[in-house]
Amino acid sequence: MALLEVKNLTVEFGSEKNPFRAVDSVSYSVERGEVLGIVGESGSGKSVSSLALMGLIDYPGRVTADSLTFDGEDLLRMSARKRRNITGKDIAMIFQDPMSSLNPCYTVETQIMEALKVHEGGNKKQRRERTLDLLNQVGIPDPKSRMKAYPHQLSGGMSQRIVIAMAIACNPRLLVADEPTTALDVTIQAQIIDLLLKLQADSDMALILITHDLALVSEAADRIQVMYAGQLFESGPADGLFAAPRHPYTQALLEALPERSAGHDRLRTIPGVVPGAHDRPTGCLLSPRCRYATDKCVSTQPLVTDYYGRDVRCFYPLDDNGQPTGRNV
Amino acid sequence: MSFLDTKPGVALMEGDTLARHYTVSGGFGKPTASVKALDGVSFSLEAQKTLAVVGESGCGKSTLGRQLTLIEKPSSGALKINGDAVGNLSDKDAQLFRRTVQMIFQNPYGSLNPRKKVGQILEEPVLLNMDKLSRKERQERVRDTMAKVGLRPEFYSRYPHMFSGGQRQRIAIARALILEPKVIVADEPVSALDVSVQAQVLNLMMDLQDEMNVAYVFISHDLSVVRHIADDVMVMYLGRVAEKGPTEELFNRPLHPYTRALLASAPKIDPAHRVKSEPLTGELPSPINPPSGCAFHKRCPFATDHCAQVRPELRMIEGREVACHRVEEIF
Repeated sequence: MALLEVKNLTVEFGSEKNPFRAVDSVSYSVERGEVLGIVGESGSGKSVSSLALMGLIDYPGRVTADSLTFDGEDLLRMSARKRRNITGKDIAMIFQDPMSSLNPCYTVETQIMEALKVHEGGNKKQRRERTLDLLNQVGIPDPKSRMKAYPHQLSGGMSQRIVIAMAIACNPRLLVADEPTTALDVTIQAQIIDLLLKLQADSDMALILITHDLALVSEAADRIQVMYAGQLFESGPADGLFAAPRHPYTQALLEALPERSAGHDRLRTIPGVVPGAHDRPTGCLLSPRCRYATDKCVSTQPLVTDYYGRDVRCFYPLDDNGQPTGRNV
Repeated sequence: MSFLDTKPGVALMEGDTLARHYTVSGGFGKPTASVKALDGVSFSLEAQKTLAVVGESGCGKSTLGRQLTLIEKPSSGALKINGDAVGNLSDKDAQLFRRTVQMIFQNPYGSLNPRKKVGQILEEPVLLNMDKLSRKERQERVRDTMAKVGLRPEFYSRYPHMFSGGQRQRIAIARALILEPKVIVADEPVSALDVSVQAQVLNLMMDLQDEMNVAYVFISHDLSVVRHIADDVMVMYLGRVAEKGPTEELFNRPLHPYTRALLASAPKIDPAHRVKSEPLTGELPSPINPPSGCAFHKRCPFATDHCAQVRPELRMIEGREVACHRVEEIF
C-alpha cells in the first residue's frame, strides 16, 4: 500500500456559489522511499495542493477529497490533535524562501530544538546533541558555533540547510519540498538537491519535490506529474516522460525551453497565459492555447485516462512521434 | 554629439577596467570597509550583438548593469560609447546618453508605477528626452511601440495591475525601446516569468534586435537562456571576469574551472547533456573580505598554493579570455 494516497483532492476559494478551484480533483499516490516531482507554471495549483496536504489551508479556503490517506489513516477524518501529531513529525515540509521560513528573533538552535521538544520530548541535553547531529547531517560547517547564530547571519544556502535540518529532525516518512531551491544560485541548488536526495535515500523517506524547473525534476524524481491550472495533466515514471510526452501541454512546455532549441532559432511558444481565477475556459482548460484543440476540446472537459502506463488528461494523447492520436474520438 | 557617431573599427559600447567600490560600515568601533562589487571589468559590445553577463548572486553583474546605464558612476575605469568616454557628461549630453542606452529591469511587478496608465508610462521617456515632439506625435510613437512589442492599442489606458507578468515585461521592453536606443541593458528580464511566457519574451527580444538593430547586454543567471540568446558570454565571479568568449565555444568547451562547475550544476532535461561531476562545495565568499590570490581558489578542485597567493589576470587562450593559472595543465 502506498504511503500517501490522495483521491480527488479539491481546494476551492471564494464564494460557495461561484467558487474558484485552485486544485481540481487531483489524485496521486506516493510510495515509500519514492521521489515524486510535481511541475507546473505559476497558478497551476502545485503549491496549494501540498498546503492542503499539510492542513495549512485556512478559512475561507475549502479542502475536500474522497480520501487523503497517509499510512492507512485518513488525514481528513481524524481529530485535529492527532493530525497535528502527524504533520511536522511524519510529514514535514520545506518552503521556498529559506530567509522567511526562519524566525529572525531566535537562534538556529532554539528553533530546531522547538520542533524536537514538541514531537520527541527528551531533556535539553539530548535535544541539543540531536540538534548538533542534525546540523552535521545537513552539512553545516562548524555546527557548534553555527548553533548560536541568528538567521540574518546565514546565507541563503545555509538557511535552507537549517530549514532542512528542522524538517528532518523528527525522522519524517514524507518530506514535501515546495520550490526548495528557487531562491538559490545554481551551484547552491545542486548542493541542496544532492543533500535532499542523499537524506531521502539514507532514511528511505518519500519526497515530494514541487518545482517549476522541468530539468530539475527530470534529474531528481522517480515519477513526475505535470499540473496545469489546478488539474493533473500528465503523470508517469520520470524515465521517458520528457523524452516522449503524451500530453500536448508537456510537449509544448518542453519546446518552449531554450535547452531544446538549437542555435539562434526562435523558441516555439505557447500563446496566451495560464488562465486565472475569472477567465477559465470551458472544456479542456488548455484548449485556447493548444495547437491540436478541436471543437470537442472546447466543449467537453477530458478526464484523466490511462495511456500506455501514463495518466493523461487529453482526448488525443500524443504518440511516440509527438503526433496526436484519435484514440478516444 | 561625438559619442553618437559610429566610427569604423570602434565598438559601440566599451568598458575599460570598470570598477565600483562601495563604502560600508565595518560595525561598531570598527573602521569602515570597502566592498569591491565590481573590480576591473573590461568588455566591448558591437552593434546589434548580445553580450551575456552570467554569474551567481553577488558576483557584481547587476552592479555592472547600473554602471553601464550611468544610474551609478563607476569608481574608476571608463565607459565608452563609440570610443568616447562618457564619464563626465553635461546635462545635455547625459540626455543624449540616455537615448542611446536604456534598461529593462528584472521584476516587472516592481518596475512599473502602479498609479500610471500604460500610455503615461511609455510617454514619459519621450516627454523627458524628445522635447520637440508634440503631444500627438508622442502618442503616436507610444502606439507604434506598443504594436511592436505586441500590446493591443486598447491597453493604452489600462493600469499595470491589469496585466500578467509577461505582458508587464512587454510594457517594460516598450518603455526601453521607445527612444530607439542603440544598447539595452536587460537585468534578468525573464527570470520572473514562467517557461511558456519566458519563451514569448525571449522571441520578442530577438525579433526586436533584428528589426531595430539594438545591442543587448543580457544579465542573467540562467545558462540555457544565455546560450540561446547571446553572441558572447562573460562569466563573472566576485566582481571580476573569470572567462569571456563566444557563446558556443564557451559552452562546448568551458576552460575556467568555475565556468565548468557552473555548467555542470545546471540541471538538464536530456540525460545525454548531463555532466556527472561533484557539485561545487562552499559558497561565494564575502566581497568585503575576499580571499587572497584567485577569488575562486577556496572552492576550486584544482587550486594550488600559487593560486592562493597570486591573482590570475585574464589571458588569451584558444581565442577567449580566461583568468586561471592552470588552464593548460588541467585540460
